[in-house]
Amino acid sequence: MTTLIIGVLLVMGGAVASIAIERVRLRRWLRGIAVSPHGRDPASQEAPGRRSSVRHAVEDAHRRAGIAEAAKVSAETAERRISSSLDALQSGLVLCDRSGQVVARNTAATMLLQARHGEALVAGVIKDLLERARTGERVTTNVDLHAEPRRSYEVTAGPVERDGEMLGAVALVRDTTEHHRIESVRRDFVANVSHELKTPIGALSLLADSLAADSDPEVAAHLSGRMQIEIQRVANTIDDLLTLAMLEDESGRPDAPVEVGAVVAAAVDRISETADQNDIKVIFSNRAGVAPIRGSRLHLESAVFNLLDNAVKFSEPGGRVDVVVEADQRALSVSVTDEGIGIPATEQSRIFERFYRVDRARSRSTGGTGLGLSIVRHVALNHGGDVSVTSREGLGAKFTVTLPLGNGD
Amino acid sequence: MTEQTRKGFHAEIDEISDLIVQLAARAGDAVARATDALLSYDLVEAQQIIDDDDYIDVAAIEVEERCQSLLALQQPMAGDLRQILAAMWITGELERTGGLACNICKGARRMFRTELPPRLRGLIAEMNEEAIRLIRLSVDSYSEHDAALASALHDIDDRLDSLHRTFVKTLLESSRTHDLDVQPSMQLALIARYYERIGDHAVNISDRVRYMVSGVMPWRAGLARHRVRDEPSMHELAADPAEMSSNSDDKAD
Repeated sequence: MTTLIIGVLLVMGGAVASIAIERVRLRRWLRGIAVSPHGRDPASQEAPGRRSSVRHAVEDAHRRAGIAEAAKVSAETAERRISSSLDALQSGLVLCDRSGQVVARNTAATMLLQARHGEALVAGVIKDLLERARTGERVTTNVDLHAEPRRSYEVTAGPVERDGEMLGAVALVRDTTEHHRIESVRRDFVANVSHELKTPIGALSLLADSLAADSDPEVAAHLSGRMQIEIQRVANTIDDLLTLAMLEDESGRPDAPVEVGAVVAAAVDRISETADQNDIKVIFSNRAGVAPIRGSRLHLESAVFNLLDNAVKFSEPGGRVDVVVEADQRALSVSVTDEGIGIPATEQSRIFERFYRVDRARSRSTGGTGLGLSIVRHVALNHGGDVSVTSREGLGAKFTVTLPLGNGD
Repeated sequence: MTEQTRKGFHAEIDEISDLIVQLAARAGDAVARATDALLSYDLVEAQQIIDDDDYIDVAAIEVEERCQSLLALQQPMAGDLRQILAAMWITGELERTGGLACNICKGARRMFRTELPPRLRGLIAEMNEEAIRLIRLSVDSYSEHDAALASALHDIDDRLDSLHRTFVKTLLESSRTHDLDVQPSMQLALIARYYERIGDHAVNISDRVRYMVSGVMPWRAGLARHRVRDEPSMHELAADPAEMSSNSDDKAD
């Protein structure tokens, strides 16, 4: 059994403390395993021939008691070590005996077994799977919790056997939330990048075909105009990809002094024409005064412009976009708030991924590359800051870039 | 059953309480899933939620049967008796909550292909969060025997009620500005009502918790009001029928 537990330990990594093992039950259980193959413990195998006198018998008894005591102490130490090791796991581990009685569980499992709300479902699954594992089955179930905070768990259970004898069952619970997230980021990235690159190429190929087949100059002018638009789209995507690559690759930290208020004013200036065309008011207020940070002016301006571009794109005509620069002792923040369609709660954690689209159908008409928010995030991270979003569908969204003051000093 | 009789009486009550916590987790998850299905127009998931509701029903029946056999075999008194009675009632409320999650899914099915205006989507997400919060708080009050928290649930539910009103108001405006047809508008109004009902069931649970902890039946307030109105004269009763509507009346559904 010890080897099994150590095996499980080796398979997984982890952290954390404090024990909830049913000590007496585990001891009884461990002892049961130690005894079962040989039938007797080592102390009782002392040579019987020595018992020639009462004196010897008494000495013998003393010695035996000593051995038993030592065995008990070392068993306790071993037990404690196993317990602490199990508690160090992030995954939950539950061990039950043949009758289904839980003999040991580590801290992570205890928290799950005592949970209320969503995680109570995991507790139910652990119990079910242990039941099934006791019949010799090896089973795995995934549990997805849909209420916020969303989580996913994987519960695996199997029988614990030795020499064909069923000793109990063990269940292992892994939090697979992060794993699933990374998995879907990877999967979606591949799908989205090919979509973004292939769509304009496919359009170009069709337009070129039509152009070759048609000699009417008016049609040709129209088709080449369309081709220009598609070419621009690919060029934008490639530009953004290069910007991202550059931002990621940058080994030298951005280090020129930058006046953020001026940077935001410049970005607001650049968006004003588009905003006017769509009847959207952009209102800028600088509450930070002159607060220079160290960084890259160009990158910061492109980040703010990306946020403004989105805000204008997703606002209804007549809407309003508020840009506010604020500062406290430690950080400076730029927030862009719109009154547009907003972002569904389930998508908010994913919009900073490359090429991630909340609504693909709409994205083509708004004409973005799907990389804008990734760029914003990278710029913020490069400056030692971060970007966050709060939004409610139908009530608009608020993006905030936070930049620590005095970085690079 | 033979295994049950061997177990300690209080161990059995604890197990029932665990089952209720799990049932509530399942019901809460069903509500969250239903909202996801509704907002992502996912009919396959909607059907799956409706199918999975059977698990809630089975679990509810199990709790009821175990309560019944405890009542019959152990003849509990006082606090123990109240705990078992509360468990039976609460199970019913949770079973209904699961049923309402199914109703949301059916509503989603009936208005399929209707694109929802963003503001309505936002309000649905908000009602979902609020309903789940109420379920969780009611379960907290149950697990911790917290009568104070249970009493607070009536007030906490006000927020969901006001969201419901805002939703109906926005829906009426949207049906003009976003060209919503009558059928989806009706379904949306009903769906909003389902969320509001889920909140009411949570409040009912908290009433049962108060009874479980203190022995006082909060839902008797309606009965008291009825007597006050009934006894002085029949005219006064007729004067204000709106007063009759309280949470306690809702249990009829």
